[in-house]
Amino acid sequence: MTSFKPTRRTLLKTGTAAAAFATLGPAFLRQAAAQDADLAPYKSAQIDWQQVSGETITVAVIPASYFENLITLAPQFKALTGIDVRFEKIPPAQIRQKSVIDLTSKTGTYATHAADPMYYALYVANKWVEPLDTYLNDKSLTDQAWFKFDDVIPAWRSANGINGKLYGMPYDGEVTIQVYRKDLYDAKGLKPADTLEAYMSNAAALNTPNDRIWGAALRGVAGAGQNMYIYPSIFREFGGDWMKGDKLTVNGPEAEAALAWYVDIMKKYAPTAAANWNWPDIADAFSQGTVASYIDAHSSASVINNPEKSKIIGKVAYARWPKGPSGKRTTSIWNWGFPINSALPEKKRKATWLFIQWATSAETQARTAHKFAGPTKRSGVNRTSIWKDPDYIKLMNGFGDNFVEATMGALQDDTDVDWRPRVPQWPAIGDTMATAIQSALSGQATIKAALDDAQRRIEPMMRG
Amino acid sequence: MTAKRLRVFALLAISMVFLLAWTFPIIWSVMNSLKTDPDVLAYPPKLVFAPTLDAYRDVLFGSGSILPNLLSSAIISVGTTIVTMLMAVPAAYALARLRFRGKKFAGFYVLATQMLPPVGIIIPYFLVLRNIGWIDTYQGIILIYLSFSLPFAIWLLVSYFEDIPFEMEEAAYLDGASRLKTLWRIIIPQVRGGIAVTVVFVFLNAWNEFLFAVVLSGNTVRPVTVAMFNFVSVEQTLWAKLAAVSVLAMLPVVVLGVVAQKHIVKGLTVGAVKGGGRR
Repeated sequence: MTSFKPTRRTLLKTGTAAAAFATLGPAFLRQAAAQDADLAPYKSAQIDWQQVSGETITVAVIPASYFENLITLAPQFKALTGIDVRFEKIPPAQIRQKSVIDLTSKTGTYATHAADPMYYALYVANKWVEPLDTYLNDKSLTDQAWFKFDDVIPAWRSANGINGKLYGMPYDGEVTIQVYRKDLYDAKGLKPADTLEAYMSNAAALNTPNDRIWGAALRGVAGAGQNMYIYPSIFREFGGDWMKGDKLTVNGPEAEAALAWYVDIMKKYAPTAAANWNWPDIADAFSQGTVASYIDAHSSASVINNPEKSKIIGKVAYARWPKGPSGKRTTSIWNWGFPINSALPEKKRKATWLFIQWATSAETQARTAHKFAGPTKRSGVNRTSIWKDPDYIKLMNGFGDNFVEATMGALQDDTDVDWRPRVPQWPAIGDTMATAIQSALSGQATIKAALDDAQRRIEPMMRG
Repeated sequence: MTAKRLRVFALLAISMVFLLAWTFPIIWSVMNSLKTDPDVLAYPPKLVFAPTLDAYRDVLFGSGSILPNLLSSAIISVGTTIVTMLMAVPAAYALARLRFRGKKFAGFYVLATQMLPPVGIIIPYFLVLRNIGWIDTYQGIILIYLSFSLPFAIWLLVSYFEDIPFEMEEAAYLDGASRLKTLWRIIIPQVRGGIAVTVVFVFLNAWNEFLFAVVLSGNTVRPVTVAMFNFVSVEQTLWAKLAAVSVLAMLPVVVLGVVAQKHIVKGLTVGAVKGGGRR
């Protein structure tokens, strides 16, 4: 056996090598992790993933855990396709503004971005984005048997389509459901509401401000995706139609009844501050035990079940949107989808489609959800098949009683593509309506006056 | 207690109330930044709590560290301030002291650029920067910031230059000093207070700017005002971290304010000798 006598030189060499490995090792390991075994499920698709290798695309997303999970997997996409993806995180309120500027100026900065379904009408009217069927039907770009487009939640697909054509592939979405404290409901012998009327009477029964418990809370802050996220559902449930022929009408009798219901419940049974609350505020209040029930996005379940913050874990249950007087339930069909920017050169458009196909595929959806190694699990996966996967169902049911049933029921049966008017002028119309709703809520205008004023402002927008 | 003492106490009490009202948002941010998330959400609000530096540790050294963003903000603000001052001092001097054709128009034109609403000019700016490849670069953002900081600085400085008596300048000329030398040796020391005030305001405006920054920046250059919004996601608002970032973002401005305080007080009360004017 030869004895090992370290010389200065060997020590230096070993030290340098060890230091180099310590710094670069994790990167190598990560790179290695994105190899063969990981890519096998993707390679079973009958397309050449490497066909535009070497391209670089920029993708704008919002800061949210479901996109963080995707960003973590980006090295796998690079290894699969040879395409570099640069992610840019932009706050939700600004991503719309920034992407519209990029699309208007046709600079092609963002190959794709997390897009709001309500913007497709505007995008399509200006030919800013590509119809996706061209890419879906191109055999060299998409293996239909592998991608299984029909598996993508139908409600979100229809929300992202204009005149039957798809413009944005849903990545993560949500649906509105009723969230309630089963302990408080049980104590009073109440059931989750099946109608808006019952929802109001439940709220009345539970409203005990002296004990710091309010009966209900709905989004109150003014904005196109804020109070105008909740009101359209109520409007539709009261039998309202946005369009009468070519004319957008927001001040009919159904609208008055709907707004009256909203103002009534907010004034009587919601905390006063809720007039300025958006949904994170509602979820925070609910998680602190001060609100007995709310109707909002199912994705808020992760916040109210956050063990670090929530005081009501184990006491939560879910139900579908209550029915309106028209007998209908109408929930939001909102999702973040990925469109393709028309201003891109052909090769980049292909690269973008490969990215979208990868991100929205069942495999990546599962890897960013229940199969994700990190602490945050997604509750907005876009695949019906995953919603039926026992592992995923188990994870989701951890949020409380009836979570998967309420969410799936709402997604499958309670949706309505015309939940909000799908016209290019929507961003401005949404803001106008939001202001009208707020002025009625704050008592600055009567319900009729607020709606008439909104109608007066919206008419010229519709003319052009 | 005499009536005089009573009056002093009353005045003191009133000032304390105002002081508290004005400093309340800052105190609240500092308190929230030292709380855990459940403590932030506690209702009624907790005034006594076990302080923790977790939020600071996370925002400074966590995965989404804002250190690069603070650096971006510093480079943009210092850059904007230096370039602005280099151009604004001579420009303001010229507007205050020189006689030239179109002076009134020039003065008005400088001011007019301030009247455009930022939202209206953001697309042209974006296009220009995009075409010269300056989106998401320091030079691009500084260039755009100059468009609002320069007119502001010029107009602020003009009033200081106008307050210096002509006699001082004339005495320097008689001693054989050139105009540049006079500006450098005689005039600028006189308006030091004004320059300090302008520097603080220009720096502050650049440091706090959000609208242009969010549109014209990207992954490479991302000031702290934009990065701060990453703590307000669609899922939840991370209040403790948001408060910690706000406090960190406030610090440089507070430090600058304290350092420049002496000059600011001087600047606000304006030079020792009055009686200048525009020629």
